[in-house]
Amino acid sequence: MLLLIVLLPIVAALAIMLGAPARKTALASSIATLLLTLFAFTQYNPQRRSFQFGISVPIIPDWHLSFSLGLDGLSLMMLLLATIVTVAAVWFAGKIDKYERAFYACLLFISGGAIGAFASLDLFFFYAFHELALIPTFLLIGIWGSGNRVAAAWKITIYLALGSFVLLLGLIMLYQSVPENLRSFDIPTLKSAAGQIAPEAQRNIYLLLLIGFGTLISLVPFHSWAPEAYASAPASAAMLHAGVLKKFGLYGLLRLAVPLLPEGARYWSGLLIALLLGNIIYIGLVTIAQKKLDWMLGYSSVMHMGYIFLGIAAANPLGTTGAATLMFAHGLSIALLFGIAGEIRKRTGTLDFDELGGLGNTMPFAGLAFGFAAFAAIGLPGFANFAAEIMVFFGAFRNGWEMTRFHIFQIATLLALWGVVISAVYMLRAYRNIFMGEPDERWNAIVDLRASLRFPVAMLVAVLLIFGFFPQYFVDVVAPTFRTYFSTAQTP
Amino acid sequence: MNFTTNSNLPWYVLLLPLFSAAVITLFTRRWKTLSSYISVAAVLASFACSCAIFRKIDISAAEITWLDLGGIFKVSIAFTLDQMSKMMLLIVTGVGSLIHIYSLGYMRNDEGKSRYFAALSLFMFAMLGIVLANNFVMMFIFWELVGFTSYVLIGHWFTRDAAADAAKKAFLTNRVGDFGFMLGILMIWAATGTIVFDDMVPKMSILTSNSGFLTITALLIFCGAAGKCAQFPLHVWLPDAMEGPTPVSALIHAATMVAAGVYMLARVAFIIQASQTALLVIAWIGTITAVMAALIATQQDDIKRILAYSTLSQLGYMVMAIGLTSNEAALFHLFTHAFFKALLFLGAGSVIIMLHHEQNIWKMGGLTKRLPITFLTFGVGALALMGLPPFSGFFSKDAILARAYEHNMSIFAVALFTAFLTAFYVTRLVVVAFFGRPRSDDARTADEAPRVMTAPLIMLAILSFIGGLGFFAQNFLIVPHEKQVVIFVPILAIIALVLGAALAFSLYRNRESERFNVDLLRRKLYFDEFYGWLIRSTQERLASIAAFTDRWIINGGVIGGAGAGTRGLGSLLRYIQTGNLQAYAFLFGLGIVALIYFTVLR
Amino acid sequence: MITLGHYLCVSGMLFTIGFAGVMLRRNIVIILMSLELMLNAANLSLVAFSRFHVDPATGLPNYNAQVFVFFIITVAAAEVAVGLAVIVALYRVRQTTHIEDINTLKF
Repeated sequence: MLLLIVLLPIVAALAIMLGAPARKTALASSIATLLLTLFAFTQYNPQRRSFQFGISVPIIPDWHLSFSLGLDGLSLMMLLLATIVTVAAVWFAGKIDKYERAFYACLLFISGGAIGAFASLDLFFFYAFHELALIPTFLLIGIWGSGNRVAAAWKITIYLALGSFVLLLGLIMLYQSVPENLRSFDIPTLKSAAGQIAPEAQRNIYLLLLIGFGTLISLVPFHSWAPEAYASAPASAAMLHAGVLKKFGLYGLLRLAVPLLPEGARYWSGLLIALLLGNIIYIGLVTIAQKKLDWMLGYSSVMHMGYIFLGIAAANPLGTTGAATLMFAHGLSIALLFGIAGEIRKRTGTLDFDELGGLGNTMPFAGLAFGFAAFAAIGLPGFANFAAEIMVFFGAFRNGWEMTRFHIFQIATLLALWGVVISAVYMLRAYRNIFMGEPDERWNAIVDLRASLRFPVAMLVAVLLIFGFFPQYFVDVVAPTFRTYFSTAQTP
Repeated sequence: MNFTTNSNLPWYVLLLPLFSAAVITLFTRRWKTLSSYISVAAVLASFACSCAIFRKIDISAAEITWLDLGGIFKVSIAFTLDQMSKMMLLIVTGVGSLIHIYSLGYMRNDEGKSRYFAALSLFMFAMLGIVLANNFVMMFIFWELVGFTSYVLIGHWFTRDAAADAAKKAFLTNRVGDFGFMLGILMIWAATGTIVFDDMVPKMSILTSNSGFLTITALLIFCGAAGKCAQFPLHVWLPDAMEGPTPVSALIHAATMVAAGVYMLARVAFIIQASQTALLVIAWIGTITAVMAALIATQQDDIKRILAYSTLSQLGYMVMAIGLTSNEAALFHLFTHAFFKALLFLGAGSVIIMLHHEQNIWKMGGLTKRLPITFLTFGVGALALMGLPPFSGFFSKDAILARAYEHNMSIFAVALFTAFLTAFYVTRLVVVAFFGRPRSDDARTADEAPRVMTAPLIMLAILSFIGGLGFFAQNFLIVPHEKQVVIFVPILAIIALVLGAALAFSLYRNRESERFNVDLLRRKLYFDEFYGWLIRSTQERLASIAAFTDRWIINGGVIGGAGAGTRGLGSLLRYIQTGNLQAYAFLFGLGIVALIYFTVLR
Repeated sequence: MITLGHYLCVSGMLFTIGFAGVMLRRNIVIILMSLELMLNAANLSLVAFSRFHVDPATGLPNYNAQVFVFFIITVAAAEVAVGLAVIVALYRVRQTTHIEDINTLKF
């Protein structure tokens, strides 16, 4: 079944290129994938501490290289995120003016790459699937983008390729550093080597992984591809990339760096904190200064990565569970935001705050949906983002706690809390300038979202609300993964 | 032995409004009238359940786990059901019901009626959540939700720029307060390992062992309350929030939400009272807010803004009482204030709507005849606010003044002066708005409000009258009794009242326009200008610097520099490509020779 | 008596003449001919080595070098075939065989 989930988007993409009706096939396959994932979700047993639904096909036995797939709680939730956002992105894509086939095929390739990367248990395929998703991203931005799209496409591609290259170095070093008998591409096997990697090696590898994955996640100062690419990308591509593909880097950190390189994490925690505060405070301020919605959303998604990093840096089950939850929640909310922004751009041709205003009058449903997503993004209780942020803050604050003075983690948490205020400032400003205020004459004639778009919007909001009201469902699935990471009787 | 009944009633109280909000949003948005009835029905049912809860001595409810990661982090949705929360339940659902009913009239022809009632229901849900919370995180959840619903309701008429800006301002100011609140929660949790109020009490020794820590924590918690209660220096949002519909001002920005801060402080009093410094700061901030707001109120022309500043001032009294360690007095004032301030706002609302949305008191006048019920009930509210015995405000304010007299003479003096100012601005409001000749066409032709609006007014007027009397109030809360009855405290208060009222009456009787123009007070002590400047010069400036850095230094300089460097190196290296075949061959030969030299001969 | 040294001298001279031709001449046909000269210089020395390295046991010369030479001749023939074809094609386009005129592939 897992094999089907992984292959379905790719097969569908190939079928579209060969001549199947583009939109229908894409939609059908993405919904089928989602349903299969939901089925896997119901079948998944969080009590079992191993990877489930495993498949393994040996490729090169001498190197312990095999095409193996499997799910634990973390990858299951990531899979769910990927399939949900894919459905929404395909649904939002609508009619494409040029090369419709190729457009939908690209979307499905991104989705397939992300799903494959999340489901892979093998280092080689984990890496390769992600690379598979990069090329269609380049095409989507370069061909169907807006604004300075070619430059943006090159920028994101060179950046991500460079990041992947550093990452590859790190992965090779990781492979080399484990004891001979455990040297394998198999992630569970590697994991059993935890604690057997020399501290010196851990530090070097962690730094490489941090920079490599960090570039993919737009960690400051490797972030400048993100806003530009998201501003230029067509809405569906931005939804998929910001919502899903970007999470690959975080997933990689959680999957490899956190369990295998605790010493490296400890050693570089100061650096990581500095960088993530750069994401939260510095990028937050940059976001405030933006004058256009697409750029603002791009920067805001960079900013929110800071919170996830904070959860990872906290290095305890509480923080990492929060980080995983936030990955999921942020993926859904940013996808919805980009989707609505794309619809606004289609109607008005601009996303400039100064030109828009009062759209809530003519587009009430878009206003409602954007409001939901915006308030989810700034962490309103009731949405999954809030539960996630709470866990991140509590997890990070507890790290290195002393009554008498604040350590780096407490200061980081304090500043990150201020970041919540910053994000409220820019989100509310955007909402105020776009949907509220005196309606402009020019926008009196525009129409609301078409009725069929209500489904993806409702789906995204509903998932956010479900996990916001009942985050325990999420935690029950994800937390066992992290408990095994920090099994040395550490308090959360 | 305590016999505790386990019951689902608290869950009904909490969830009925949420259910109503969900149903309206999902299904009945198109049918506006149906939506409004659903909302009213939900709040009435909630009120009924609250009454039932109130009558049971000991009651508890099942809890559900919201978030649990094992170890010390566990957040439950669980209820505190003590005297205090039961009283708050009654106030919130009771006043809430009246205001819902009033809204049926006030919002009769509004375009966004469904949205309004959905938000109102959601607000009830959030507010009840605060009241019932038994731990900090749950309280914070509903705390934020209340801020959100307040945002939605202030911005109800979102196409008005003023309303949109006010909504944004309210939410952001609250967020600033919540920043401190959350930090305080984190510190308490990290120190004691629990977020449940009851579990903290035995662990207080951990906190008290470090007095600096305790003070900071208590003040951070207070920071959250200051945001919600609109205490100085986070008070700026409340007057602007009057851009929302008037019933909203009555319910949220007078009777309930703004009082949530006081309720929360009373709930965690055991933490605050452990730190003398924190108490002093809190008391003084309350005092400053009280007197400052009263001063500003004397020079406002907008009927709702006068009431808003008066709310600020009264909240200042409550916070002052908390700072003077008298939770009873604070809650007592909260209790009476909820009635008379809701009454005043609703009265103002019926004036406003009958005058076709005229809010300037100088364009009113002569309304005693035209709006008799409104005038009478408004008068009751005004007397209660001034604190004339035996109206309710007298007793509760007297309790606070007596407490101040016992503890801190300077606070007492300021509080007394505030009482004088209160009488002054309330009399000014009533005299200018209701007495004299009508000063506009709308005022000449106004009609009494419909029954659905006057009925809640009458109910609230009765409550405002009897709310402070011992036989009524003691059913609901502990009426504070001064230990040694200082007789001249109430006497002084009454003297201040009479002075203020007489002064205002003589100054403003039959006036056509304002006598004094004190710009400093008219412009609200320039707080908006100051904050505007502060934000522009710090956050906005930092933001534009950061944006500049990101665009031109990181993106342009570093990243663009790397790109340009690569390109430059390439363009330098291309000069080696001369296109001369023989030069290539020569270099090739030279290379081979060098290779042979280094590999074979060395 | 002609020794190995003599052969190598001739071979060296031929190689130098060829190298000089490649370096200095401007006509691409002559450069190709000079290139052949260099290859044949190498062939000459290989054959000479073969002749003078007699295996004491069998009394036979070392044929490896001669096999090598066959390979070189084959490759040279192929090279000339391709090279001349390229030159002819080039001449058709540019009407010249002067390498100084054929320098479009530069900065």
